[in-house]
Amino acid sequence: MIAFLLLAPLALIGAIITVAAKNAVHASLGLVGTLLSVAGLFASLNASFLAATQVIVYAGAVMVLFLFVIMLLNANQPISGRDPVPFVRELAGIGGVILAGALAVIAFTYRDPRPLAQGVEGLRGIPGVSTAAEIATRTPGNAAAVGEVLLTRFLLPFEAVSVLLLVAIVGAVALVQRPVPQPDGTPEKERVVLPGPAEPLVEAREPVVLSERGRL
Amino acid sequence: MAPTGYYVALSGLLFAIGMIGVLTRRTAIMIFLSVELMLNAANLALVAFARSWGDLTGQTAVFIVMTLAAAEVAIGLAIIVAIFRKRETTNVDALATLKG
Repeated sequence: MIAFLLLAPLALIGAIITVAAKNAVHASLGLVGTLLSVAGLFASLNASFLAATQVIVYAGAVMVLFLFVIMLLNANQPISGRDPVPFVRELAGIGGVILAGALAVIAFTYRDPRPLAQGVEGLRGIPGVSTAAEIATRTPGNAAAVGEVLLTRFLLPFEAVSVLLLVAIVGAVALVQRPVPQPDGTPEKERVVLPGPAEPLVEAREPVVLSERGRL
Repeated sequence: MAPTGYYVALSGLLFAIGMIGVLTRRTAIMIFLSVELMLNAANLALVAFARSWGDLTGQTAVFIVMTLAAAEVAIGLAIIVAIFRKRETTNVDALATLKG
């Protein structure tokens, strides 16, 4: 209870910084705070393996990727200028309040069916998991118990996700590779001329605005 | 030990904040950050329900969601970099030429 009361405000503050910060670097650092708080909440929910994974994968790898791209594209400044959809802020506020209210109604009328330590006893019925289940009865949610479930009941999704990761790696490399220089001496940096979009991009492509390259 | 309902309420708040971010921010990278926030809110609810039901299925689902989010970030940021090379911007209003 104390862990929840300490970590929940931290997670909310980080989330608000993420959404409201003008500078994209500040926003991503706020998201790191939220991710670390959520990792602590996972640990308080008997999910120690997921807490470690959250810190390593999310707060480590994914956020480094985000910061790298933000700094590579020099995209840390907010977009100024007229909002094309003028009522979107009011709409977002109303939608957010409705969503939070509906989820709060669900949340405060929810009753626990049974605690985790009791439910892990059910794993003993599956052949071959008796030792891991014994470990899990003492500390449910550790790497051994989660791995046991992942590699028995959820083997097919596990393999599918590994294939998906491979496809994502290959796709990311294929997307960002530079075009191969043509043998007839066409310059490599030749910019593809896109068909002109309707209204707002015409002014954005004027050379005056090009000096504002970092203003995203 | 805090009741499951508290965790679900926190998850709903985080999800709502992330949704507001997706709707109001105008840079593709900031929209991605907000989507990550929403995914984490869903993960928190899944882990809370896993404890509540005494079943590790929810935690396994969180593991898979994390992997999917990592793949999504890799592909999405690659697309943003590729678009930035052609258009010199990540403003989603200027990139809305696929609409209609």
